[in-house]
Amino acid sequence: MSLFNWLFRVDDAASGIANRNTKNSAQVTAKDRMRNMLTHDRLELPAGRLQILEEELIAVVSRYFDLDKETTHFDLQQFDRKAALIANFRLIRSKC
Amino acid sequence: MSGRVIVITSGKGGVGKTTASANIGVALANTGASVALVDMDIGLRNLDILMGLENRVVYNLVDVIEGRCKLRQALVKDKRVPNLSLLPAAQTRDKTAVNAEQMKTLCEELSTLFDFVVVDSPAGIESGFQNAIAGAHEAIVICTPEMSAVRDADRIIGLLEACKDQITEYRLVINRIRPHMVKNADMMSVDDVLEILSVKLLGVVPEDEEIITSTNRGEPVSGTDNTRSGLAFRNIARRLRGDDVPLMDLDLPTTGWMNRIVKFFAPNTARV
Repeated sequence: MSLFNWLFRVDDAASGIANRNTKNSAQVTAKDRMRNMLTHDRLELPAGRLQILEEELIAVVSRYFDLDKETTHFDLQQFDRKAALIANFRLIRSKC
Repeated sequence: MSGRVIVITSGKGGVGKTTASANIGVALANTGASVALVDMDIGLRNLDILMGLENRVVYNLVDVIEGRCKLRQALVKDKRVPNLSLLPAAQTRDKTAVNAEQMKTLCEELSTLFDFVVVDSPAGIESGFQNAIAGAHEAIVICTPEMSAVRDADRIIGLLEACKDQITEYRLVINRIRPHMVKNADMMSVDDVLEILSVKLLGVVPEDEEIITSTNRGEPVSGTDNTRSGLAFRNIARRLRGDDVPLMDLDLPTTGWMNRIVKFFAPNTARV
């Protein structure tokens, strides 16, 4: 590292700007993983259980509706240390 | 008089519980309060080293609990701050040497003698932790901005929430933050950690090599005025006493180009 670079941290500043512009910075990755992990920890819910629930819920809703399974969205979110299960089923038509 | 019993805890080891205990104890004592520091890490005694008091330990916490000495005999007076005393842990025993009920009684007795009783908890969530929180009314949770430390802090917060009636307040100290890495988006920021844990912040302490030097000397940084970590711990002590102290500007020493020039020419002495 040159003296100039060392003094002004030009390389770091540049990489910092590059990082901030991407969604893949270690900071963002850590925060996303952390949020997901703690939501499961707080519920004492192994992450794999959610997958099973998702499949079962899809099966139930599918008895009533044709579903667009590609866009069905299933998510656990955290609101002030309390978890919420957000399920978004895209319905095509009723089966009744 | 009934002093405040504050437990310092983290779940994960190595995040700076003992360092924080020593520094917060010294800083509180320097505000004029009388302070007892209690080392609850039975079997892995370290607080005496950080305080530079290891040669003056005669009796320990287990001796008091088992009635081999009076509480006052076991308290080691600090050599710099007279209103600060240390109750050392036993080094040759283990966590099973005491129970929660005994700790509660001990903390009650200490709180009649001191304005603040600062309890340094061992790592983990087992009996050592349970004993350390048994007599506390408040808690300080220490964590670093690393994923494993944040996860463990969350677990501790869950356990503290479960004894809300006893521990009425807990606040977070984020230790060893590296402003430069946060700036480069390489590390979680203070706001990230707070958002994830949804917890009140008590203070932020920057990563500082002076901590190592001060530990080697047995003189906590909060007792001297020229370190950034020391200032951070003094601010924490003031907030504990109810003062409204803004968070310090963490950017100062890493971005100031004057600093770099000074440091470049005098790397060992510069401390701006």
